[in-house]
This record gives sequence, structure tokens and C-alpha cells, in this order.
Amino acid sequence: MSPKIPNAVIDDLRGIVGDKWVIVQRELMESYLKDETPDIIRPKPAEDLILVKPSSTEEVSLILKIANEKRIPVFPVGGRTGLVGGAVPTEPGIIISLERMNKIEVDLENMMAIAEAGATLGDLIKVAENAGLFFPPHPGDEGAQIGGLIATNAGGARAIKYGVMRNYIKGLEVVLPTGDVLSLGGRILKNNVGYDLIQLIIGSEGTLCVITKAVIKLFPKSKYMVTLVVPFNTRSEALRSVPAILRSGVIPLAIEYVQINEILEAARHLNEKWPVHKGFAQLIIILDGMSQEEVLAACEEISRICESNNALDVMLAETPEEQNRILKIRSNIYTALKPNMIDILDVTVPPSCLEKLMDEVDAIGSRYGVYLPAYGHAGDGNLHVHIMKEGIKSMEMVKKIKGEIYEMAVRLGGTITGEHGIGKIRLGDLSMVLSEKHIEILRGIKRVFDPNNILNPRHPL
Amino acid sequence: MYNMRKRSEESCICGEGILNVMPGYIYGNCGRMQMNIIVLMKQVPEIEKVRFDPEKGRLDRSSAGATTNPFDLNALEAAVQIKEKVGGIVTAISMGPMKAEEMLRDALARGADKAILLSDERFAGADTLATAYTLAAAIRKLGAFDLVICGEKTVDGDTAQVGPEVAEFLNIPHAAYVEEILNVSENNIVVKARMERSHYIMRLTLPALITVTKDVNTPRLPTLRDKIRAMRAPITIWRYEDLEEVADPRYFGFDGSPTRVIKVYTPSAEKRLGKMISGSPEEVAREIVHVLIKNKIL
Repeated sequence: MSPKIPNAVIDDLRGIVGDKWVIVQRELMESYLKDETPDIIRPKPAEDLILVKPSSTEEVSLILKIANEKRIPVFPVGGRTGLVGGAVPTEPGIIISLERMNKIEVDLENMMAIAEAGATLGDLIKVAENAGLFFPPHPGDEGAQIGGLIATNAGGARAIKYGVMRNYIKGLEVVLPTGDVLSLGGRILKNNVGYDLIQLIIGSEGTLCVITKAVIKLFPKSKYMVTLVVPFNTRSEALRSVPAILRSGVIPLAIEYVQINEILEAARHLNEKWPVHKGFAQLIIILDGMSQEEVLAACEEISRICESNNALDVMLAETPEEQNRILKIRSNIYTALKPNMIDILDVTVPPSCLEKLMDEVDAIGSRYGVYLPAYGHAGDGNLHVHIMKEGIKSMEMVKKIKGEIYEMAVRLGGTITGEHGIGKIRLGDLSMVLSEKHIEILRGIKRVFDPNNILNPRHPL
Repeated sequence: MYNMRKRSEESCICGEGILNVMPGYIYGNCGRMQMNIIVLMKQVPEIEKVRFDPEKGRLDRSSAGATTNPFDLNALEAAVQIKEKVGGIVTAISMGPMKAEEMLRDALARGADKAILLSDERFAGADTLATAYTLAAAIRKLGAFDLVICGEKTVDGDTAQVGPEVAEFLNIPHAAYVEEILNVSENNIVVKARMERSHYIMRLTLPALITVTKDVNTPRLPTLRDKIRAMRAPITIWRYEDLEEVADPRYFGFDGSPTRVIKVYTPSAEKRLGKMISGSPEEVAREIVHVLIKNKIL
């Protein structure tokens, strides 16, 4: 544990960013001490913390230089929308919030956005749209910040057609723990000079450097978008349709799998109405394209596949209002379940194994006599399993259930986290997917970037 | 008064033709009551995206895509639910450019049986009065009807005047801001309507007009099959000449509109004021009370 931050350091920080942007009172930084991880498993924040809000890369650099000299831990935070405690400052130190660095420019010619790390996902979506362009992924909460989206390699529902954050980042400006500023990549689509540090930094969860700016690939705005809701009587019928859709040549933005109980619960939670009450399992499929004819032709192909798997109907939402309502209800299954939830998992398996994984999750639930509601991004085999409080007798039991689900995912050729990341609550499970050698390499990389282990310090990495 | 509930030449939707006409309502050969329901709809710009042209004082409709006025989907859903309950025919009518055909095709996919678009340059530039006059003329031309349903307002104009004005032109009773349809029988409809902070339960003798809020129902999604079927369905287009026989064309379009826009301005957004108050709890409380009194809140 580091000692309390010396007053002289606080004065230096005030000198860098101005008095107003150094916050020492605990009550004014409460919201910076947690993220969206369910309460029961979220790590506890440390006591002696100060919050600093720089306005430029130079200021970030000066802050890190001081912290590095004095060996003070630094916790970069974004919109605090993560689900694995990654942004929780667990040791006495400095929290850096880049919220004041929130400018976004669009380079229309090259279809790129140049965004500061503190701009939000909502800002980026809006700026892209105003420029007649499109930022396809929608990794949940629009309050998430660019820096956090990159540091966690955020995924979300619309990854099938265009990929996750990793596929969009073409350039980065970062500040190393030593205060050095690195400018990587740029507005270029091909770059083949040595090891790809951009890809290494994406998903590094604030352990290697502080991201200050990013060049983000945008896409032309699709002219027409629809959302299909397809109910089935059984999970098997729904999930069997997914690989067939992906093989057909139609590439949807998203294929989401939900079950009727959870989606109705989410609608109730929002005081909304879910438009389709038929069936037990439903697929939500989002498609876009350049014209109504093109997209409806793709819908007909999907309809043919789903009907051959006994779909009960194929419902079509076309108005922005109806489509937004469907996406909003789907995105809020987590918030609806959260009050009674202990953990949300995001295991990922090869898409063709999703049904097997879900059946096994059901079997684990029955064996322990607990409720494990599950839904997910069926197109990329990413399943969200919720461990609910109901029937849980101890945290030991939670650990066992979680362990069995992880084991099953790994046995099916998958991994323990597809999009939420490791954060601070999955560290103990790393050895299930990474070999000793692999972890040793990761530790080596961390030492090269951060020799004094000041940035989001955590163990065993 | 013009007999608005005269016998319709339409067949019953069961396809067995019309057997008998009682005063005021129609029975099909199947023995079911058949209601003729008309839904008035409008295609509006996507309101979250559309820009306002301050020079011309109107919406720049080219700045956003077009969609169905959301309240009109509730009106259509209400009509389709009544049709499903008591039988009948739902006719969607809209006035607008030819592009509005796509909205009417969507209405057909969502359960309307027929769609009519009033489209003519000479209808353009209409205010609420001229719009209502033209829509009422179209309803008159259609002949028999029992019920007209509109959304409470359109999101581009926001006046909520057209529905009630249509009722006045047709000389039929109306109820605005209907939140619930309590009962529909052969001669009347009972609705719960919102007025300010109160609710009124009203029984309207048919034919009547109601405007509905978003609370009245949740519009269903069309099936893909219905959507594709509707893309090929015919839309009846009525032009200026088609309505001349039932109305006085001097009241159509811009020339028939008494409304003149003198000035349009955007109200300036009030900025929230923030103030940090520090001190002991007593001092802070005293300062808060002082600020609230000074700003005439207390």
C-alpha cells in the first residue's frame, strides 16, 4: 500500500491542471470510485484518493511524470460503464478522468473520426451521423468514453458485420507511465512497421498507458435499416438458424438471442411493451443496406431459413422509433436483472457451440437449484449468463457455478470473457485460459511499458 | 345531413358479400357487424434529425428521412383492433407528396385493407384548416363510414387541430386525446379521454371521430410477409379533380389557408446556473433558503 499522497504532490497537480480540477473531497468523487459491476462482486475502492481532470495530453504527461517519480498509483477512468471492476481505484493514488478532453473531428474524405479520449460514445455516434457517416458498434451504454471503449476493446451487439473496437482503431496517441507521449498509426488503413502497439494497447485495460486520442474508422451511413424479431418454440430451433443465416451470404449487423421471460422483464422494467409475445426463444436480427429492396431481399432469405427451422413468425420493425425501442429493451435486460444479480458472465464459444453451451448452463443451474438467465450475441457465440441471488447460499457456491460455466466454455473451444474483459474480478480465473508462459510474457510487456507498476497496478499481472 | 353511414359497396372481409343493411350499420353474409373505419395518417420527417430553416421559418424536410407520424400508428392499431373484434374494413387516408405511398403501404402491412393518398400540387401549402377540409372531402367521397381515428397530433406541426377540424367539417361528434377505447357497439363508442389533469368517459354516437394518444395501445409490428405483400398492393391516388365533386376547391391548399406565419423564432435555451455553497450545515441551509427566496422560489 502506498502512503497517503503528500501535500506537495497535490500542490504540483494543482499547478498542472488548475485548483478547480484537483478534487480531494471524497464526497465529490463518489461516482468515480465505482463502475457498473454488480455491487456484491465489485472491488472496494481505496481510501486515500485524489481525482484529477486534465485538459490536454501535455497535462496528462506531467501528471504521470510526477506519479512515476513518486511511485504513486494512477487509475485512468472513462465513463465507468465496465462490468468487471476494471476502473475501480483499489489502491491509494490518483484517479485521472479525461472527461474534459472530449473534442471530436471528422475527416470526411478519409472517413475517420479523430476523437479525444473523454468524448462519449453518444458524442461519437452523433458527430458521425451529422457528417453523414456511421459508427456501427453499439457496445451498450452511450455514456462510455472513447478511451475506455478502446482500453477494454468493447464489443456489443453489432459486431458481426463490422467487428469490435479493435477493428476500428487506426491511430492512437498515448501517454506512457513515464510521461512520454507516443503517436501510433494515423489516418491510414494499412500499416506494417514492426510490432503493432496499437493492437497491444487496445484491450490493455489502462495497465500500459493512458490513451488520450484515437483515430477511428467510420463507415458510410446505410440508407435503410430494419430489425426483425423472430420467435421460435425452442432454443434449438432459434440457434440452429444462426449458422445457416451466416452461411447464406447475408451479413446482419447483429443477431441477438433472447428468451421470452427475460425480454418481457426488461420491457416491464422500462415500462415499455415488447412487440412479440409468441414462442420461448427469439432472435433479434438487425440488417442494413443501401435500399429497401436490397434489405428486404436479405430479410426474405433470413425468413426462409428461420421458417425452415419452424419460426412462428417473422416480424419486421422499420420505423426508427420501433427499432430503437427493441434495441433499448434488449440493452436493458442487464439493468432489469441487476438488482437481483450477483455476476454477469460473457463466456464466448465458437458460434456453432452456443446451443450446447446454453444447454450445459441450464444443466448447471438445475444441479445447483439456481436461476441462470442467459441471452447473448448469437452471431458471435458470446453468451451473457447471469448468476442471480435466488437460490445462492454462499459466495463459494457462486465461485463453483462460475467455474463450471467457464470450464464448459473452454472445453467447447471458447474463452471466459468475450467482451467485458478481465478487470479486477476475473484475475483469479486467468490460468483457465492462459498458460504460465503466456502470463509471463504479459508480465514482461507490462514491465516494459510501466517499470514502476504505477498504472492501474494489479496482480498477478 | 349527408348520410355518412349509407350502405357500402364493399364486401365483408369474410368474402361472403353483404347480406343486409340496417340503419347505421352493415352486416355481412357471415352475420357479423361490419364497421367502416377510416384512419388519417401523415408522413413526417424524422423529428430527432430534421433541421429547422430559420430563414424560411419552416422545417427543412430534405435534412432527414421520412417516417409515419408515431401517433398515427396508434390510430391504425386502434382501428385494426376494432376490426378484429367486430369485423369491418380499415381505410387509411393520407394527404401529401407521392412519397407518402410508402407510408400507406406500411399501413397496409399493419392491417389496413385499403389506402388512399390525396396528392396534388394544388393541395400543397395547406394549413390545418385546409388540410382538414381536404381530408373531410375525401371521407365524404368514400361514402359510408362509422368511425374516423387520428393520432392526437403530428410531431412536425404539433397543433392537434386537424382531427377535431375534420369532425367539424363532417358534422360528427369527436373526442380528442383518447387514452382508452372502453367499448364499441353498433351505435356508439365509449372512450376515456384525457383533458388536462382529468379523464372523461365519453359515449359518442356513431359516426364519430376520435384522436388517440400513445397510451391507447402499442402498435404491432407487421410480419415480413405482410410487408412484402403490401409493397405490391395498389394505392388509390386522388387528385384535385377527384375531390372537386364533393368539395369547393377554393378551400384546398395554400389558397384555402387563412393562416399566415408572421414570424418564427427559436426560443433561447436557458442555461442552468450552478452555485457551490460551503460552510457549516447551518450556514449552508441559511444560504440555500436565502437563494430560494431571492429567486422567488420560496
